Amino acid sequence: MPPVENDTGKTELKSRIQQLIDTNQVIVFSKSYCPYCVKVKDLFKELKVDCNVVELDLIEDGTNYQDMLLEMTGQKTVPNVFINKTHLGGCDKTMQAHKDGSLQQLLENEAYDYDLIVIGGGSGGLACSKEAAALGKKVMVLDYVVPTPKGTTWGLGGTCVNVGCIPKKLMHQTALLGTALQDARKFGWEIEETVKHNWETMKTAVNNYIGSLNWGYRVALKDKNVNYVNAYAEFIEPHKIKAKNKRGKETFYTAAKFILATGERPRYLGIPGDKEYCITSDDLFSLSHCPGKTLVIGASYVALECGGFLAGLGLDVTVMVRSILLRGFDQDMANRAGDHMEEHGVKFLRKYVPVKIEELEAGTPGRLKVTAKSTDTGELLEGEYNTVLIAVGRDACTDKIGLDKTGVKVNPKNGKIPVNDEEQTNVPHIYAIGDILEGKWELTPVAIQAGRLLARRLYKGATLKCDYINVPTTVFTPLEYGSCGLSEDRAIELYGQENIEVYHSLFWPLEFTVPGRDNNKCYSKLICNKLDNERVIGFHYLGPNAGEVTQGFGTAMKCGATKEQLDGTIGIHPTCAEIFTTLDVTKSSGGDVTQSGC
Amino acid sequence: MAHRLLVRRIWTLPAKEIRCLPASTATISSSSFSTSLQSATTRVSFLSPSRTLPRVLPHTSRREVSFNVQDHEDFTERVIKNELPVLIDFHAQWCGPCKILGPRLEKAVAKQKGRVAMAKVDIDDHTDLAIEYGVSAVPTVIAMRGGDVVDHFVGIKDDDELDSFVSKIIGQ
Repeated sequence: MPPVENDTGKTELKSRIQQLIDTNQVIVFSKSYCPYCVKVKDLFKELKVDCNVVELDLIEDGTNYQDMLLEMTGQKTVPNVFINKTHLGGCDKTMQAHKDGSLQQLLENEAYDYDLIVIGGGSGGLACSKEAAALGKKVMVLDYVVPTPKGTTWGLGGTCVNVGCIPKKLMHQTALLGTALQDARKFGWEIEETVKHNWETMKTAVNNYIGSLNWGYRVALKDKNVNYVNAYAEFIEPHKIKAKNKRGKETFYTAAKFILATGERPRYLGIPGDKEYCITSDDLFSLSHCPGKTLVIGASYVALECGGFLAGLGLDVTVMVRSILLRGFDQDMANRAGDHMEEHGVKFLRKYVPVKIEELEAGTPGRLKVTAKSTDTGELLEGEYNTVLIAVGRDACTDKIGLDKTGVKVNPKNGKIPVNDEEQTNVPHIYAIGDILEGKWELTPVAIQAGRLLARRLYKGATLKCDYINVPTTVFTPLEYGSCGLSEDRAIELYGQENIEVYHSLFWPLEFTVPGRDNNKCYSKLICNKLDNERVIGFHYLGPNAGEVTQGFGTAMKCGATKEQLDGTIGIHPTCAEIFTTLDVTKSSGGDVTQSGC
Repeated sequence: MAHRLLVRRIWTLPAKEIRCLPASTATISSSSFSTSLQSATTRVSFLSPSRTLPRVLPHTSRREVSFNVQDHEDFTERVIKNELPVLIDFHAQWCGPCKILGPRLEKAVAKQKGRVAMAKVDIDDHTDLAIEYGVSAVPTVIAMRGGDVVDHFVGIKDDDELDSFVSKIIGQ
């Protein structure tokens, strides 16, 4: 066929090509013998993407097509690739786009409302949505707090900000100030004999600060152009959610990708009276009245932290423990932290489980009767408390978000979501971050890091993955416990007793000497791998300011610090952290680690 | 925080009762205020959560000077369409400085004897409004005339500064 000369023919051809471009998700103008074309076609085959091919050498007016394509795209060569109506280019451009992730984006760009919908406005969800929006994506984040059985609810920001880290540490600080007041007398401060604490003042101050944080998050989303919706999200299709707001109004949204960041909520016991009369950490921090005599059920870090600061406010506190303290943490350290609490007036009811809770008298606080059973003898025990706080663990909020409609796999035992090392679920366009991940840390900074890096990998072509190894953390028990890396128990399990060396020491913080309290209670421990140049694989610290102390050592461990390097580090005197530069007694030697004098 | 919500409800109730008042509430005398309470009974009756709360809270002269914005529509009616210049006090329950500024501002507005109106917007109850007007910190006070923002400030000011701010808005 001769070249098309007349305008009508050209216009007709152009519209024919345009129609091909408009109606096919992927269209490749190709020549059957061209190896570059084969390469591109193979790529789409590999990606399992439906790819429409026009072999210009096999059709009658192929040359005209090629000329028109040149006119339309400025590209004369084949393959000439279009995705979702966008001209991508030839083989090199396609391969490059595949490599940097933009090909995937083009492929997913079909008529979705959003590039990304994040379900959950906690630390992880917010970090991730802001990062994605900053990279130019159209992002929505949905957050909705289902009220507790007691009716408590809160604002934007998730557990950490509203009912976790933030109020917890502020109330821990309240308790520390009480101890400081006692110490102050020994340092010469003359304070009235009776010092009282006002719960409501503390509660209001803490919650006012949280209110300002909630607002700050709201404004940050607005500034970053993230569309925020205060509604409960539930999948109805793999790419579509239903959002139900507090008035019951339903709205539907679609997105190319989703990130699940729904977090966890406290678990109840499933015994008579638990939801009716007990509270959880979700209620405690905004409780309108002082809880009074309190029973804490559980020995999780939430249990010990809450029990710890309540006792520090001067309340009568009992902790009911089924088996061990701080499961998953170094047991030696956990028991030391527990012993310290016990020495400071917290009662421990060990090997008991609650059976039922009854209300003796309503009020603020009321009176509750708790019946518990010994796990050894089965013997029943009754006790009376003003408040019962349940802290026996948390459940992932993954059972009521329609995951069955998406095919996302959930561990049926704990509701957690298994993901690969890129936080991707078994459904490629759905990702998950934060506390709901199986086998990962339940820590705010981990969720933030994972969320940010995920957004950068999805939308910036970045490759850096979240490192879940050697994550430093701190439990804010009255005597704080900071750790990084392996527990002693886990190190022995992984490397064998004979291949690890444990250096340890008790110490007495200078600040405790004048008040004359807590000598030989603070403890430091390093676990080193003998097979690897005594590299530090476990760091453990029980003492004041554990978070501040542990943070830097976390960096050292990320840099691969060895015992020799710590020994070569000059200590800062007089501090608690300096103990780690002078540890010379090994646990295996059985040497004395108690402190006597200077 | 449930408690916080409760407090907020009590706080906003009186404003709901005076909702039927004409826009220039500042000019209404105390006698017409009691009339308005009666005329508002039907409106109050379907606010079921409020029923258990005290119906009438002790009121001060303050209420005649300012009003609490109820919703977007209310904002349009009583702020944007107001013939008087309006000062909008964006505040929050959790904000300490707001509790100091609010009464000071009301005092400054009261001195103008009805030449300027004052609207109060709780940013947690009316987040969209606050976001729309670019409130990123509280207290934020926006001065509006004929629906246009003519001035604003963020943070706390003393009585003299407030007097001059208000005077400037009125155009003295």
